[in-house]
Amino acid sequence: MGTFAVLLGPPLLAALLAGVVNPYRRFVGWANGLLSLLSVAAAVTLWRHVVAGQVLTSGSREFLRADALSTLLTLCVSVVAALAAWLGPGMGDDDGYDGAQARRFRIFGNLFAVTMLFAVTSNNLGFMWIAIEATTITSAMLIPLHVTKASVEASWKYILIGSIGIALAFGGTVLGYFDFVNLVGRHDEALNWTTLMASAPHLHPQVIQLAFIFILIGYGTKAGLAPMHTWLPDAHSEAPAALSAMMSGVLLAVALYAVIRWKIVVDAAIGTEFTNHLLIGMGLLSLIVAGFSLVIQRNYKRMLAYSSVEHTGLMCVGLALGPLGTFASMLHLLNHTVAKSMMFFLAGRVLHRYRTTEIAAVSGLLATMPWTGGLFAVGMLAVMGLPPFGLFMSEFALFRAGFVAGRPWLMGLVLALLTVAFVSIIGHLNRMLYGASAGGVPVGERPAWPLLPLGVCLTTLVVLGITLPTPLQTLLDRIVEVIGQ
Amino acid sequence: MRAYVLQVTQATLALLLAPGLVGLIRWMKARLQNRRGAPMWQPYAELRKLFQKEVIVSSNASWVFRAAPFLVFSSTVAVTLLVPILAVPLPFDRVGDLLVVVYLLLLGTFFLALAGLDVGSPFGGMGASREMTVAALAEPAIALAIFALALSAGSTNLGQIVARTLAHPGTALSPGHLLAFGALFVVTLAETGRLPIDNPATHLELTMIHEAMVLEYSGRYLALIEWAAATKLLIFFSLLGNLFIPWGVAVALTPATVAIAVFSLLAKFIVLAGTVAVLETRIAKLRLFRVPELLSVSFLLGLLAVTSSFLLR
Amino acid sequence: MDGMFSQLSVLGSSLVLIFGLILLWRRGVTAYIAAFRWQSIVLALVTAIVAYFAADHELYWVAGALLLLKGVVIPGLLKRMERRFPAERELDPYVNTATSLVVAGLLVLFGYAITRPLVALSQLPTRAGMPLAMGLVLVSLFVVISRKKALTQVVGFLMLENGLALLAILGTYGIPLIVELGVFLDVLMGFLVMQIFIYQIHETFESIDVEQLNHLRH
Repeated sequence: MGTFAVLLGPPLLAALLAGVVNPYRRFVGWANGLLSLLSVAAAVTLWRHVVAGQVLTSGSREFLRADALSTLLTLCVSVVAALAAWLGPGMGDDDGYDGAQARRFRIFGNLFAVTMLFAVTSNNLGFMWIAIEATTITSAMLIPLHVTKASVEASWKYILIGSIGIALAFGGTVLGYFDFVNLVGRHDEALNWTTLMASAPHLHPQVIQLAFIFILIGYGTKAGLAPMHTWLPDAHSEAPAALSAMMSGVLLAVALYAVIRWKIVVDAAIGTEFTNHLLIGMGLLSLIVAGFSLVIQRNYKRMLAYSSVEHTGLMCVGLALGPLGTFASMLHLLNHTVAKSMMFFLAGRVLHRYRTTEIAAVSGLLATMPWTGGLFAVGMLAVMGLPPFGLFMSEFALFRAGFVAGRPWLMGLVLALLTVAFVSIIGHLNRMLYGASAGGVPVGERPAWPLLPLGVCLTTLVVLGITLPTPLQTLLDRIVEVIGQ
Repeated sequence: MRAYVLQVTQATLALLLAPGLVGLIRWMKARLQNRRGAPMWQPYAELRKLFQKEVIVSSNASWVFRAAPFLVFSSTVAVTLLVPILAVPLPFDRVGDLLVVVYLLLLGTFFLALAGLDVGSPFGGMGASREMTVAALAEPAIALAIFALALSAGSTNLGQIVARTLAHPGTALSPGHLLAFGALFVVTLAETGRLPIDNPATHLELTMIHEAMVLEYSGRYLALIEWAAATKLLIFFSLLGNLFIPWGVAVALTPATVAIAVFSLLAKFIVLAGTVAVLETRIAKLRLFRVPELLSVSFLLGLLAVTSSFLLR
Repeated sequence: MDGMFSQLSVLGSSLVLIFGLILLWRRGVTAYIAAFRWQSIVLALVTAIVAYFAADHELYWVAGALLLLKGVVIPGLLKRMERRFPAERELDPYVNTATSLVVAGLLVLFGYAITRPLVALSQLPTRAGMPLAMGLVLVSLFVVISRKKALTQVVGFLMLENGLALLAILGTYGIPLIVELGVFLDVLMGFLVMQIFIYQIHETFESIDVEQLNHLRH
């Protein structure tokens, strides 16, 4: 119970503090940063428990529950939330945000973080839904931090499409509850994941299939799966850098987590074939849409957003390839979170220097901002899946899983699509890095200290690309157990 | 034997009451609009006047023009013999299929449209084309509403539908029936040329549909057509009343039940006439391109009615 | 008794669906708000009926909350918004009225098709209304896709939520109370945020026609 309090409490406190302190003061940002580290510590404690084989729950009704899958997500969310706290408006990102906007970011950003943490640790799937709906609302409040035509349009599309997706996911939840109720009877704890798992083998097959379709379409909208992804490039490119990092890095993962939770229930009821087919279909569609959209990109933040769609699609395909695929997919989730958040923070720095998100307008990045440009370049290579970075390892594991599962043609297609994406991104990257410096752009790295945590991110990626530390391996193994049971 | 007599009486009663019904609606509208209005028997006086007047026929007219009023009138009279106005089951019920009724009425409309085209006047052509649009759009709606009723009753025979609803009173409140009522009500307004689809009191080019078709008629031809239109209104009202709220329809052919049937019929007519009068006073005529939208709503209600009836059997 | 319960619930569900269809027929946003208000009132009535016949007193609270939130508060806020942007009419939607109505009919049929396993599985007397709830869900989705005014899209979304709530009530006599309250809170918050955004759209674009929101492409 204590661990959960330390996990969920700090962001709430930080939001409260930011709400109370009006006008915004610098110390709020510092407090936010320190509190976020507490959450990270709690997440690491959960990790230790899971590695030791325990599953922490809170209280007798098991309202909160942290098994291996939840722990991986809490790690991702808390780390990215910490990065956002240290590098967001009001601390590391002073350019262009006044006090009121910084305060708004601190309030809603922290609420966003706590709702995500609550979503991944809740045992009750109904509350998970409530939390994910709350993430839509809190993040939508922050997209138009700078009110422009583009950001208003992006936020409207986000809230409308997101809310509809979530509503459909609610429909799926209701259908799942309906199935359970017809089997066992009305129960206050019927929507607990553990209760559903216990009676899963007896659930009616067609009803649970229909429920999963609704869940996949609903939560898939939040995860950025095609064809419901249309809000994603707009929202992720118009949002402030720290928010984009949180959304691209972890919100997509949290939505995918919701799909996985339901997938486990459905697989226990009717076997893995149905869900695997659906996941492969949507994953492939996302890969195709993202791959070809990347070719025509002219905006580097949208480029990163489409790359997120691509990687989510990849993760979906991985989940459908058996235990090896699940392992690869979850490793990929971790790698992508680290890489994509880092990239969005760097993109934020580039944006504040160049004042434009057009790829064509950004040139000579390496000359203007050597460290940022360098990190950006290397990070981009990492996101594209080149060795020696972590994403290469997870993608390689995914391909291996695909071949073992007997789907060579599928893997060939995926490889081709990844190559298309690779070629497009390399082209855009080249245009940004080299060439003459764009006129009137100041040279230098001011402030320089945000580069330090981003450098740590990159180092993590390298480490993950070379080896797989044992605690991490154990965590991922336990996740495969949870998903495969 | 008694049954045949009753059947003929029923038809005669319908023909006699029809102008009175139109008069009733006009009187109610007048009162609602704070006017005194003509008395309820005004249409009878109009019919008598028209029968005495001279018939003027255009030199362009062909036999269609002269035959149409008789065709319309006789088809309407035939329908009055088939519809359960007072009692079920009646001898002609075996032929009294709902589809037969609908298509007999449509036959009348068809010939009227031909007659409108026949003389070559612009009003006639315009009225005919408008009327055919409305009829074409109303047809699927009425077919679906019929189908919905037939599904729950097991046959399209009118007598059987009424008998079935009498036997299972609960079905009168079922969504299939209520939706079919809604669909049929809109179709009634469309087929009998009442607001919001057509204004029966207007002679403005912009707003006429039925009136435009019969603009060339005079004397006894016009009398027959007006009478037939009034009878059509009565037929639709009896369908609406007796199919959906069948209580009062005589099942056994005794004087007492027939008397009750007459009274309940009059009561239903008054209620329906009141509704139509209120509607006509409150809503404006729809522009012609909006009429398909209203008829689509009717079609949709019919579709929903069929779905409800079919899947909730 | 069971027969009456079943009849009343199906009747209520049909009314709820028909109010939803008004969004496709009428053109004025005032009509949409009135349709949503009446739909919510009927939904609350259906919940109360289920509460009465199933002797479940928690549902009375749910019915009351539904009536208050969706029958009074949200329509009130919508009317206030509508006064700010007066005389908004859907004059030129992506799909015209007659076609929309036909598509709606087909969607209701599709809803019947996909809820067949549900109706077959359930033993509750209210199960006959579930296809209508699913039909409302699909029709609301269609409204959001095919309409151009932001207010219409919001009302379409609210009706989607109504449809799902109806499905929950008819299928399972309501989801656990705590979850239900959380859902209400979420819907209210979501609606408030949408309201804020519509004001922002109006300020930035001088209209709430979402066709104007076309700067972000590819």
